Formats: sequence, C-alpha cells, structure tokens
Amino acid sequence: MPELAVNGHRYAVDAPVGTTLAETLRDELTLTGTKIACGEGQCGACTVLVDGTPVLSCITLVHSVDGAEVTTIEGLRDHRMVESFVRADALQCGFCTPGQIVSAVALVESNPSPSSDEIRHAMAGNLCRCGAYPKIEEAIRTWRD
Amino acid sequence: MARLIRTEKEIEGRYEEVWIVVEEDVLEQWPPGPLNVVGRPAPRGDGLQRARGEAIYTADLRLNGMLHAAVLRSPHAHARVTRIDLAPALAVPGVHAAIGPGETEVLAGECGFEGAPIAAVCADTLEQARAGVAAIDVEFELLEPILDSDEAVVRGSLLGEPRVRQRGDVERGLAEADVVLSAEFRTSVVLHNSFETHQAIVQWVGDTVEVHISTQFIWGVRDEVAKGLSLPPDKVRVICNYMGGGFGSKNSPDDYTFIAAELAKRTGRPVKCALTRREEHLAAGNRNATIQRLTVGAKEDGTLTALRGEYVNAVGWGGWSSPTEGPMHLLYSCPNVASTTYPAKLNQPPMKAFRAPGFVEGTFGLEALLDELAAKIGLDPLELRRRNHAEQDPSDDRPFSGKNLVECYRRAEPHWERRHEVRARSTDVVKRGVGMASQIWYGGGGPPSYAWVRVGSDGRATVVTAMQDIGTGTKTAMAQIAAEELRIPLEHVTVSAGDSARGPYASISAGSSTTPSMGPAVRAAAADARRQIEEIAEQRGDPDMPLGEVVALLEDAQVLGKGARGPNPTGMQVLTFGVQVAEVAVDVETGEIWVERVAAVHDVGRVINPLGASSQIEGGIIQGIGHTLSEERLHDPSSGAILTTSFESYRLPTIADVPEIVSELVDVPDPNLTNLGSKGLGEPPIVPTAAAIANAIRDATGAEVRRLPITREEMLRALREAEQRQRESERSEAPARV
Amino acid sequence: MKLRRASSVAGLEPASNSLLLAGGTEVVPLLRAGILEAEELIDVRGVVPRGISGPSIGAGTTLAEIESSPDVPDALREACRLAASPQLRNTGTLAGNLLQSTRCWYWRLNWPCRLHGGDACFARDGEHREHAVLANDYCASAHPSDVAAALLALGATVQTDRRSLPLAELYRVPSEDDRRSTTLEHGELLLSVELPPAGRSVYLKAMERKRWAFPLVGVAAARSGDTARVALAGVAPVPWLLGPAGLEAATPLPGNAYKLEIATALVKRALAQLDG
Repeated sequence: MPELAVNGHRYAVDAPVGTTLAETLRDELTLTGTKIACGEGQCGACTVLVDGTPVLSCITLVHSVDGAEVTTIEGLRDHRMVESFVRADALQCGFCTPGQIVSAVALVESNPSPSSDEIRHAMAGNLCRCGAYPKIEEAIRTWRD
Repeated sequence: MARLIRTEKEIEGRYEEVWIVVEEDVLEQWPPGPLNVVGRPAPRGDGLQRARGEAIYTADLRLNGMLHAAVLRSPHAHARVTRIDLAPALAVPGVHAAIGPGETEVLAGECGFEGAPIAAVCADTLEQARAGVAAIDVEFELLEPILDSDEAVVRGSLLGEPRVRQRGDVERGLAEADVVLSAEFRTSVVLHNSFETHQAIVQWVGDTVEVHISTQFIWGVRDEVAKGLSLPPDKVRVICNYMGGGFGSKNSPDDYTFIAAELAKRTGRPVKCALTRREEHLAAGNRNATIQRLTVGAKEDGTLTALRGEYVNAVGWGGWSSPTEGPMHLLYSCPNVASTTYPAKLNQPPMKAFRAPGFVEGTFGLEALLDELAAKIGLDPLELRRRNHAEQDPSDDRPFSGKNLVECYRRAEPHWERRHEVRARSTDVVKRGVGMASQIWYGGGGPPSYAWVRVGSDGRATVVTAMQDIGTGTKTAMAQIAAEELRIPLEHVTVSAGDSARGPYASISAGSSTTPSMGPAVRAAAADARRQIEEIAEQRGDPDMPLGEVVALLEDAQVLGKGARGPNPTGMQVLTFGVQVAEVAVDVETGEIWVERVAAVHDVGRVINPLGASSQIEGGIIQGIGHTLSEERLHDPSSGAILTTSFESYRLPTIADVPEIVSELVDVPDPNLTNLGSKGLGEPPIVPTAAAIANAIRDATGAEVRRLPITREEMLRALREAEQRQRESERSEAPARV
Repeated sequence: MKLRRASSVAGLEPASNSLLLAGGTEVVPLLRAGILEAEELIDVRGVVPRGISGPSIGAGTTLAEIESSPDVPDALREACRLAASPQLRNTGTLAGNLLQSTRCWYWRLNWPCRLHGGDACFARDGEHREHAVLANDYCASAHPSDVAAALLALGATVQTDRRSLPLAELYRVPSEDDRRSTTLEHGELLLSVELPPAGRSVYLKAMERKRWAFPLVGVAAARSGDTARVALAGVAPVPWLLGPAGLEAATPLPGNAYKLEIATALVKRALAQLDG
C-alpha cells in the first residue's frame, strides 16, 4: 500500500495498481483543486509537485510515488503566486489555473526572477484554452509585488 | 411599465421574431469615460476561489450515491446498428443500468458520424461503466460516408435550402469594375476544446429534476430538458456555479444530459455523464470547415463595385449553417453583393457555434481577397477599407445604433505605420511584414434578462440573477455596475448566480451577449434599490443622507430592487467593430511563421472592466492564432474516422506561441443602446486575427495563403507558387530578344 | 495488475506479460489507452543508472537533467530542451525517450496497422502529412525522438544489461517478418548511453508550434574529426543517419513532400552552423 505525504499530511492509499495520482488526489482525498482536462499527460492541468518537481499527476501511477512528498494547489493556497494570478487577471475559466500556479511556483522557487523566455520555456506544458497566457507571464514576472 | 412587443432577437447572427415582455429603459446613460467603479480595472471577484482550486466545477462535484455513466459511441462515420445486446453490460460487476437505441431520444442505431451515441451504461465507478460499455455486443452495417463538401452539394446532401442573399446587380457591378479578382479560400475544422469537458449530473428530487451542468445557458438547458422529459419547466432546476470554458459549444444540454437523466430515472440515483477528452474531440461540436469562392470587382481608386461569394459550410451530420457570408454583406459599402451558402451534410461530427461562427471564417476570405485587390491596384490596404466604409447597414440601409470603426482605423494608424520599419528588418531568409483586417460582428444582446438587488443593513449589496459566468468575468462586471449605481465600494457587492431556482431569468452567455443583456438589468435593479433608499432618506427628512446611514436603520429589513433589460433600439442595426494589425516573420526556407505582434482596436461601446476586457481580447487573438497556425481536426480520407483526438495531435497554442499583444478599446457608450451603451466583447477579438496574419504573410513574402491553418505545408506551397508567379512575370516583362 | 520494484538487474526476471516502467510518461498513457497490456509492471528506477558522469549518461537520467547539464554536447542539450513539455521532461527518462513509439495517429488510435500486427499501413493511403519520407514503404510512421537524432549524430553507443551496441543498431526499420522498430530483446534493459569525444554539434527542429510538439523534421549535426555526421528525427520509422546519398533516397508520399524541403534547408543550416 503506497504511502504519501500530501501537503504535509501522511496518507496510506488503498488502490489497485494502475490508479493514477490524480485519481487518488481527487477521488480518495477529495483534493479537487487538481484538475483533469485530458487524462493523457498532454495539457498540464493536473500538474502537482512530487518532491518539489512539477509532474503530470494524471499519468503518474500512485504506486510509483510511494514515499514521496506531494504538493497540490491546496498546499499552495497562501503562496504569493496565487494572489499574483488574481491581481494580473491571469485566469479566465480557471480550470487550468491550479496547474499553471503549481508550475509557476516551481519555476520561481528555483529562479525567482525569470526572464520572459524562461517563463515561456518553463510554462509551455500548461495549456490554457482561454488564452490567459500574456497575463500568466505577467503574474509570474510580478509575483513578489 | 411592462409591455408586450414583437421584436427581432439575434444570437450569433441568427435572427428570430419573438414576442417578449419588455420593460422600458428609463435610466439615462452614465456620462462617457471611467466612473467611480465602472470603467476601472477590477480583478475578478471569484478569482481567488478559482486560483486556489476551491471553486467546485461540475467536474468536481460528487453527490451522495452518485453513479457514473459511460457511452457507447459509433466507431464508424456512417453505419447502422444491426444487432445490439446490452445484457453482457448488465452482467459486469457494479453496473446498475444500461440503455440502448430509442430508450432515450439521443441514443440511436443510425450513426451519421464517428462519436454518435448508441448506448450508455451506469455503474458505481467510471471504470465499471466503461467495462460495461466494452461488454456491449454490437454489430454494424457499414454505409458509405459522404466526406467531401463539394460532392455533398452536387449530390444534394444538404441540411436545408442554400441561403441566397443579394443586393443590387452583381453582374452589372462586375462589368463596371476596372479590376476583377477571384480566389478560393478554405478553412478547416477546429475544436472548442474547453478544458472542462461537456458533462452533467442529473438527479431526481421528488418530482423535480436537478441538473448540475457545465453550461453557457442555464435557462436554455432548463427549457430543453423540460421539453425532452415532458415536464413543466419549473420542475427542472439547473445549476452551474463554475464552468471551465465553452466558447459556444455549451449552449444546450446535449446527449450526455439526457443520458444521465434517463439513467438517473431508472436507478433512482444521481448519475454523472462526462465526456472524456477523446469524446470531446468527436462529439462536442466544432467550427465547421468552409470553402469560399469569392469574386471582387473594384474601380481603380478602390471603390468596390461588386462582391460575390459561393460558400460551402461543411456543417457535418447536424447543426446549422453559420453566416460565413455575413462579413461580405455587412462590412463594406458595396452596392452589388450576392452570395449563396450551401449547408453540406456530411458524415462528420455536427458543428456548434464557436466564437463568432461564420464571421471568423468569412472575414479570412473577404479580407485576404481585399488585400490582394489593394496590391493589384497599388492602394494602401487601410486606405482601401476607409474608402469603402459603410455609414449605415449596407444590406438594408438601417442606421447603426453606434459605429466607431473609423476611429478604430485612426487609432490603429501608429501600429500600421510600423510596417516600413518591420519590413526593413527582413533578411534573405526571414521575411517580415504587417497586415491588417477589419472586424464586424453582433454583440448587442437583448431582452429578456432580469436581476434583483438586495441591500441589507450592513450596507452591502447582493446581485441575484440566474446567469452563469463562463470565465469571461461577467459576474465581476455585474458587481461593478451595481456598485456604481449604488455608489458603494466594489468589495461591498456580491453576485449570486448559477442556479435557476435562485434568481430570475438571465441571458445566454453566447453571442457576446451577457454583459449587454445583463448589465442594463443589473443597473436597473440597483437603481430601483437606490430609489427606495433615497425615499427612506427623504422620509427621514435628509435626502442627502449617505446610503450606509439609511440602510443602517433597516435592521433585519432589506431593500429589494428589481430590474429588467429594456428593448434594443427599433429600426437600428447594433454591431461591434474593430481592426487588428499583425506583424509576422516567415522563414522562407522552412515555412516557419512567427506572429510577433498583434495590435487590436475594437469598438464595443462602454467598457465596464478594462482589465477583464483586455483579457478577453488577448484570449480571442490567441485562439485566433491557434486557428490560423496550428489547430486542425483531421480525418481519414476514406473512412471519415477522426484522427486528431488528443492534445498531442490537435495543437492548441502554448504560452510560447503568444505574440506581444497591444489592445485598445474606443470606449464610447453606444448612445442608442440601453442604459449602459455597452456591447459584448467575447467574440469580436477573434474575428479579424486570421485575416490580419494572412495579410501580414502576404506583405512579408508575396505569398497568397488561401487555406487555414497555415501549416508548414501550406506556407511552403504558397511561397513556391509566389516564386513561380514572380518568375513568370519577369519572363513576360523581359524584352523580347530578336 | 501488480507493480514490483526491481532491486537488481539480475532480479528483473520479467515474465512475458511484464512491462518495465521508469518515468512512465509513455507506458502509462499507452496502458490506459489499451495499446499496451500487462499483468505486471516492474519499476526499474532502482537499477537503471541516473546521472551524467563524463561521457556516460545513465539511461534513467531525466531529459530535464540533461537539458540543464553543462557537460553534454550542444546538440543533445538542445534536443532535450525542445522535446516534449517541461513536466514530461521532468519525469521522462533518456531510455524512455529513445524507446518511445511513433506518434502516427493511426497507431495511437490502435488501428490494426502493420506495427499492431495487421496487414495495412493506413497512413500511406490516408492522412500522412506528418509521416515518414524515408524507408516508408512498409510502414510510414515517423520516429519522434529528438534525442535519438542528436545521439545518432554524436555517434553514441548504448549499453544494455547484455551488450554494448552503436545507437544506430538499437533501431531497425519494421518489416514483414519483424514488426518491431528496436532490436532489444524482451526484458533487455537499457543502462547507459556513451558519448565519444565530441566536436561542435547542433540540433534544429521544425514543429507546428514553438514548444511542446513532436518534430516534423529534426536535424542534428555533429563534427567528428574532419567529417560531420547528420541525423534526422521525424522523417523515417527510425531515427535516420544521413548517408552519402543524402536525401536523394527519399520517397515522399503525396502529402508530405514538404518535409523534404524543410529537411534540406535544416541540413544545410546545421552544417553551416558547425562551420560557423
């Protein structure tokens, strides 16, 4: 039975092999901030941090992250990046936003003042159908304001 | 006073004559320009809930005892079910019910497209439901698919009569022309791909049906579900608090809602039916492909004498024929215009409205052709548009309620002027250029729409209306309008929306209509509340008493205001306008295109929230860039099966594909439109983007792109064709050697 | 399905219905789509080396780690940088990238094509704009690995738990008698990639958007002594080392000749950059 720490709380997960981390987070732990938009690892809406690194929880088997520290959007609710996204209007429908913020947080944790090119490179795996991209870039550039 | 009137109602360019009860709009418009709250940037009120992942979308909702449904969809573009046995599905552990063709109206054994729903299963878990679907024993007779829209027209496979529209005499107009140009343009199928897939949860509560649904139209779902289930509309409650994008594809309940309703009825449990991303690529609607065979005639000075178009809308198996010819009839003052639009019925998934349906496609063809004309007669493309500006609706001479397109052109000039400097930065391999295109579209909104405003003793106000916010920020705009009218801070206004049982009828969020439909009703309701508060103040002998002090007297009493959207101006055409200027770079060896900058100037009347408005413009342009460069649904040419069913093969723009975007709004209230003078902004920004980019490519390279998307293949084809043309003209101009 | 964590190469002992799992970015979606089936997943992350040490790159190294390493040749770093998406690069491994399957839409939709054991290549007569222009007679799928093209140009060799072989020999063009596109035996484990001393190298990529797309054409070029080696991604069912015939041997299909134009331009450009 895999054990994980999610946002600092420890859980033992009773799930069949093949269950994804996203399914566990949403269905078992009711942490529905992590969204599933494609379920195939292609859009980034399900991005969470596993041991600090952004990964796609919809194609990560929960059994292969046994022992890991997982951080979801719920664990970042008071991060300044959240406030910055709202201030910059970096979201429209909001469905991709938790994933965007998780990726953005990982970026600024390792590079607090990313350039435009660095933002575009690091955020290219988080699709947004509403096209909030210019303001996502602005939110990341101004996250400490 | 309420009044019953017969009026024209427009949504997405489709008109119908309806009887509606309207209330006169008695409020004077506010003076132009930014006010205390309206016209000032405001971050969206529910932004924090969305950003923190606290907002509960339909996709996040779990009701007690909820079952999950999965749908058997046709794997064939055209087939008939010859035998189907649901018994093996019912034997799968966890399965509670299975329904097949005819057991609800949306399930059928005749399959006109890949993805057509045939049967459905519900189970305790989604995996069990899918196993149930996989267990269904089904046999098909394969039928020949019709996939080519020209062939469909020839064979008479049409969804209705061809639409013929004309004014003047096109043949005479062409005879009078100094220059006549013809070209064929094609646009491809593109998909909405909202991030929250289409889905609904249906449960029966006593004799009432509750529908939780990701929708753009709570009241439309209510009416259609009531009709489908033969219930009084008030026995259907529709709830949508947060929804993850629609772009025109979520205006109706569709198959998944009726499947969930039938399975909920049979099992006595709430049933959720959600499309997967793969199903979303098949059965959630699309912007249909078009073929546009266009001819323009003009005098040497650029005056248009004739426009003619033969349009084929590749509608698919169902849907409607969008106004692809609309821009040709509305955009320019040309005396002779004729078009025929064929609605081709194909064995392809049905279209649905997609952000300015028809006009995105039609503007591409028309505005690209006009640039070819400008090049031919050696006239500045912007000047060509100015010379053919329409002072009134050119199709019926109705005055416009308000039109500031010339002002848009004026404000676009500095961006247009950059073309000399941009071109000068070209190299042998990377060519740069600038192109522009005009925008015209609807967006006036209309009645009926209602709102209530509740003010309590704490001095805070709640706007109550059963509308939905599909991510455009309309809830925030409504709060701003109420705050302005009540003269209280924006933070003191809450908007309660998203539930047909908890508020009055509200507009569809489509056709750029939410703000222009709901805004005037909210303002009227707030004004009604304010009037009552002022009456109380007068009774207290102090007409100037601040609102806070008046309402503090209320204790548990509340002031309740109500408001309705008044009628649109009689005999006037209400439209939105704009212009976009795109800068591109093209690698002429590899066909790579960079859109480097897009400047957008639009006229949508008064702007409520400049921050949200700029987001709408950016989003529209970025979707437009996707349509122009990377997005295309492909099908297998012999079977008609859809090949691009994932985000890997259907390519939405990423953040790395986004250019610098500069946006500006004229921000002058439409003097004839409601107490606000506001029009909608959801759709206008996507309308001219493809045309502006195509024209910039032509400016940079001389290549005439005639097809969307402009893939590497299309770009290289157009470049080689332009080289060929160049060589031929050099040969013909070379002096003959004797 | 079971999941087992391998603790030594010797202890792998995969059954016929076992699948090896590392980053999982390819295997998990294919399992969920029903294209792969397994009764047992063997997590090999404990036994496959991860990290870069001199000329040897552990097969379990993620693309993100290679992308940010100053110690790898430019072509390899650039190929990693332009591959997939950031999240996929964070998880996806070097071995997984080299062994990924084609992005052919027919194959991904599980049509009964030749690679799936059927008797037709649907792409050849169907929609093939993104498909192979070389060695495409039997199967027109295009190999999507940017990294493989870079390593091929760099003259890399591959170390498995059983042998050492030039990277070119890891791949084989599928044929009627053997539908596979690699020469790995069942359960054979890719352990590391060894790079010979490298001169200047470059990777150029054409795709339908600026990031997060598989290559329409990827061109890697690397200097090796007096000669330059050029390899391509996205143009053949396997990563393609450009021979003396260059692109002359190409057999484009009606809908993908444009790829040759791109390839020709990028090859010329890559070679010029080696000299420049």
